[in-house]
Amino acid sequence: MKQRRRVAVTSPQTRVALARGRTGVRAAPPHLAPADAERARRIHRRQLRYALTVLALLGALLLGLPLLLAGAPALDTVRVAGIPVSWLAVGVLPFPLMALLAGWQLRKAERAERATGSGAQAGHRAVR
Amino acid sequence: MILAIVPVLLITLLIGARGVAAMRTTSDFLVASRRISPTVNAAAVSGEYLSAASFLGIAGLVVKDGVGSLWYAVGFAAGYVAMLALVAAPMRRTGALTVPDFAEARLGSPALRRLSAAVVLVIGCLYLVPQFTAAGQVLGVVSGSPYWVGVVIAGAAVSITLALGGMRAATYVQAFQFVLKLALFIVPAIWLVLQVSPDTRREALTPVEFTRFDAATPVQFRLDTTLTLSEPTRVAVGGADAEVLPPGEYDVQAGQTWDFAAGSAVPHVGTGPPGGADWARPLLDPGGYPLLATWSVLVATVLGTMGLPHILIRFHTSPDGRGARRTAAITVALLGVFYLFPAVYGLLGAALLPELYLSGATDTVVVALPARVDGGFAGTLFTALLTAGAFAAFLATSLGLLLAVSGALSHDLVPSTLRRLRFTPIVAALAVVLLALPAARLDVGVLVTSAFAVAASTFCPLLVLGIWWPRLTARGAIVGMVTGLVASAGVIGVDLFLGVPPGLAGILLGQPALWSVPLAFATMVLVSLRGRPPAWASAAMLRLHLDETEPGRR
Repeated sequence: MKQRRRVAVTSPQTRVALARGRTGVRAAPPHLAPADAERARRIHRRQLRYALTVLALLGALLLGLPLLLAGAPALDTVRVAGIPVSWLAVGVLPFPLMALLAGWQLRKAERAERATGSGAQAGHRAVR
Repeated sequence: MILAIVPVLLITLLIGARGVAAMRTTSDFLVASRRISPTVNAAAVSGEYLSAASFLGIAGLVVKDGVGSLWYAVGFAAGYVAMLALVAAPMRRTGALTVPDFAEARLGSPALRRLSAAVVLVIGCLYLVPQFTAAGQVLGVVSGSPYWVGVVIAGAAVSITLALGGMRAATYVQAFQFVLKLALFIVPAIWLVLQVSPDTRREALTPVEFTRFDAATPVQFRLDTTLTLSEPTRVAVGGADAEVLPPGEYDVQAGQTWDFAAGSAVPHVGTGPPGGADWARPLLDPGGYPLLATWSVLVATVLGTMGLPHILIRFHTSPDGRGARRTAAITVALLGVFYLFPAVYGLLGAALLPELYLSGATDTVVVALPARVDGGFAGTLFTALLTAGAFAAFLATSLGLLLAVSGALSHDLVPSTLRRLRFTPIVAALAVVLLALPAARLDVGVLVTSAFAVAASTFCPLLVLGIWWPRLTARGAIVGMVTGLVASAGVIGVDLFLGVPPGLAGILLGQPALWSVPLAFATMVLVSLRGRPPAWASAAMLRLHLDETEPGRR
């Protein structure tokens, strides 16, 4: 029980590929139990929605900020503590905003998993 | 200055050895690594990610191209928001260490696996060459050695560290490297800001175009350069007596030193001098289309981050998909802290060392600054600290990349002949050294961005569609990836060998991501729609979204 064996460390997929390379037979294709598939489908849909929302916000930030700076050169001459506002908009502002965005996405994604998870445990009741 | 680098190497090895030893005490290495907390793992991810391009390249680009270069930093950090939203958790759940693994797991196509491995090689080389280049340049600046000596030392250091083994094993090494890099970057930055005179601080924030040398300035050219003198200029060429050169064009050979007299006009080289109005605009503007150029860099860096082979490996050390997601989220915050500081070096460098833009050595601005600010002991000390940090940056990234490249070589591409060869990393390092030797003139930041562009045009569509779209077929993935690879890498190859054309074409060819990424996505979707995915495709995709804490999975 306590005896330790040294094992080669590879990723599961690498092991699958290596096994196939030796035997020439493809590993069994993946399958899901119907209940799991249903739950996964619900999670997938929710997560996709959150992911697209976050990407849209990120895109708005990253594409919109250069647009703003290109459209409003006056920001170069406005200064906060001696630093041009347009420089702050590149060098400082995006980082806290992106950290907030990441935190929000993380909470949403974990909540989606928890919500659908408990829904499945309570006997496949539809969530929402 | 070698003294600064040796401790970094030694401490890295020591922690690596300790980390490996600690892991041996558990029954299974994989289980051990799965106990890594998201915070430690995020530090490790950041440690592996902060390369010479981040440590040296961004500040150098600020001196050379202007404040707009700070968008690189934004893109580098934003990549993890996209990674968090789209890739982190599902990728972890495939159990795939690398993209070739993922391709195999999701689409079951050995051909796609080999193609992905080839793309790993392309990205790895594009990313590794500038790391080695930067190492060569930095060692050249701090010790005066020729460029090739630094490159060879760097190659040897990486190979030996790899041969001694265990680096990859120890997440702690990467986490330590992040803390080290953060400290070695931030502390000198704060010292510099406090040390320089208030006038210099004001100058850094209100840049004046660099048109006249304030003092007698020696410029040692690192590259063959063509100078344009606009007025008779007093200069001593190569140590000879000072003479007044008439206006006109002059060819300077690499390695030559020109001593410009105080008050003489600054000659023109390709790009405009730092400090001008264009330089101070916070947009990237290589050819008159600032918005397009900035967007293109952002698209490449954000989407390319998802496909970096050495980063994806890192996420596997999280315990599960949820841990991988948390790791990505914390990484955004950690990188955000680091990326506040390249601006400090870039702005101070443009104010204090504008002549670097003449000599072509802008990548060395970070390590050259302390000596310029303080000629005494403190300056030497901080130069040493920054050199150590730059070397740590170079080491961590190169090790991760070299492992990914040799894995692709020995595992996916030529399994029968190379699988058993333990010295694949050394062969790979040798190849990269040979590639890096003629690459002295390339910008660290630009070449790394081209690696991002290739990753964004190949792996990003593969991962995103593979994870979120059940109808993706292996055929579609292959055709789309080949299209993206040819579009991005082909165009970059044309730039490197034939030069970048001016104007709009220059932006579209120099930074292809803006059109090559949508092209790759469209190709993948259209070809997939014409085919029919296998019956198990939907299950293969859906299981990536099931959290593994639930019982009864599979």
